[in-house]
Amino acid sequence: MTERIIALSSVTKIYTRGGESLVVLDHLDLEVARGGFCALMGPSGSGKSTLLNLIGGLDHADQGQVEVAGTNIEALDGSALAAWRAETVGFVFQGFNLIPVLTARENIELPLLLAPLSRKQRRKHVDDALELVGLADRADHRPSQLSGGQEQRAAIARAIVTDPKLILADEPTGDLDRESADQILDLLARLNSELGKTVLIVTHDSLAAERARRVVHLDKGRLVDRSEAALAPGGGN
Amino acid sequence: MPLRLVPRNLLKHPLRSLLTLLSLAVALFLLCLLRSLVVALDAGVRGAKSDRVIVQSAVSLFVFLPESYQEKIRQVEGVAEVMGWTWFGGYYQEPANFFAQFATDSELLFSMYPEIQIIKGDARDFLADRRACIIGDQLASAYDFDIGQSIPLIGGLFPRVDGGVWDFQVAAIYRSNSSNVDRKSLFFHYDYLQQSREEGGVEGPPGIGVFVVKVKEGEDPLAVMGRIDALFENGPQRVQSCSEAVFQAQFVSMVGNIPLFVGSLGGGVFLAILLAVVNTMLMSAREQVRDIGIMKALGFTNAAAFWVILLQGLLLALAGGGLGILGAHAVSEPMAQALGAYFPGFAVSRETTVVGLVISLAIGVLAASVPAWRLSRLSTVQTMRMEA
Repeated sequence: MTERIIALSSVTKIYTRGGESLVVLDHLDLEVARGGFCALMGPSGSGKSTLLNLIGGLDHADQGQVEVAGTNIEALDGSALAAWRAETVGFVFQGFNLIPVLTARENIELPLLLAPLSRKQRRKHVDDALELVGLADRADHRPSQLSGGQEQRAAIARAIVTDPKLILADEPTGDLDRESADQILDLLARLNSELGKTVLIVTHDSLAAERARRVVHLDKGRLVDRSEAALAPGGGN
Repeated sequence: MPLRLVPRNLLKHPLRSLLTLLSLAVALFLLCLLRSLVVALDAGVRGAKSDRVIVQSAVSLFVFLPESYQEKIRQVEGVAEVMGWTWFGGYYQEPANFFAQFATDSELLFSMYPEIQIIKGDARDFLADRRACIIGDQLASAYDFDIGQSIPLIGGLFPRVDGGVWDFQVAAIYRSNSSNVDRKSLFFHYDYLQQSREEGGVEGPPGIGVFVVKVKEGEDPLAVMGRIDALFENGPQRVQSCSEAVFQAQFVSMVGNIPLFVGSLGGGVFLAILLAVVNTMLMSAREQVRDIGIMKALGFTNAAAFWVILLQGLLLALAGGGLGILGAHAVSEPMAQALGAYFPGFAVSRETTVVGLVISLAIGVLAASVPAWRLSRLSTVQTMRMEA
């Protein structure tokens, strides 16, 4: 049986605004196999990003259980969750979210500061990540000196530099032109196929979703379409 | 913790940081100088000897006492010795060159004030020559005076009738090992003043300014003061005795309640600069909301986020405060030269430096802790959604 890296069971998330409760995720169940490449699609407000945040341990569910890489993350407190995130998850965001006062190299090195590594070891990891995303020649540039595609590649390098099991990407091509978007999707696909990383992307872009081996549709906090072969590696995972 | 974020974020808006830093520097510069003034005023009080008593006119310090009082005071029970001490009030060449000069009973000066140590020249030369004087080492270096040199003084309180100058020969240079004796003073023989008055060549009030009384060992100074005051209760001129510390303190109070004034001023400066730095830190923190969100998403804790902001405030405050303190040290010597006559012993002390650094630190912590705490408490999702 294929090993699950993500297992959500009856997860509910409710936001309260102005005294009104809004159910963003409604008793949602989802499983993703280790090594899978899954795309989450759906209209705005369907709960895609919220779901990604719950899986990444950035937010807590109001009900249900979120198990990622064998850890029930709902049971972790703030510090433990932060440590778990640093070790387990690499994030890629739509707006790239690089820290503007740091160079690409320094941004990529950021999560490594949490690991017990020497400066030399950190530098080696960063160089490898830069090489992998093809950004070695722009390492000492600040985000403002990079193109959108280069910024996103730097963000991906930062996401993989700690060698996480899971890469979560929220609209990774949302701010990019087609050519840059394709390059980023190629990179994510390589990370999945060559390095065996589990990739979960949230996207509006159907072309982006086509790169995934499994597409999950969300609407009003519920899964509306789910591959029958969700756990089958190489198939609909 | 990504410490490089601390200076980088401060340098992100160099003009804003520079202006805040300069305002801190000016504030700490002023605070250090103001505190140094108070310390200088207070030094004389703290350095005062407990076995010395000052006897002055009960009317005013500016009313002189009859010379005959000296012998009467000497007879009071508990009095070991008594000497006259008269303010001369002259100046050297021009009024701006002002320093303290006193006419004293020279033969008693060194026994009454053992803290006066001759470091150049000979005290015997001073005692042997009627026109001789001794000067403090700081006065000597300020005007380049040396042994054997003549110092012509224009008599302020005791002008010469012919409009001429008083002429004093430097016989020795002293240094004081206590802050109650100014190192920028000139002491000369009271006999010289008295004789000049008797010859009619000098104007000015008759008598002696104050008497300095040394209390016998084991005697209660308060009791001695009471006896002296009682002795002249019925005139011809009533006196008021006080300890040397109280005497020194009254000069401070003459200028007003300096500590309260400086404290209020310092408090105002502290509050104003604190608000300015709080404003800077709030703006800075607001701009870093997303960065903090990124850090948290990557696995940094709330504490790390808190310290990134707090350290920015501390760095800014210590850099600005340090600059101000350095500036205060830089002007300390010129100010001591300029203010020496009014604030003897003026200097930016190590204690003032420490106080300045503590104030800088307090400003940094107070200004940055609120935005740091607020930012660190925001959830990661909130911070990622917020626009800087």
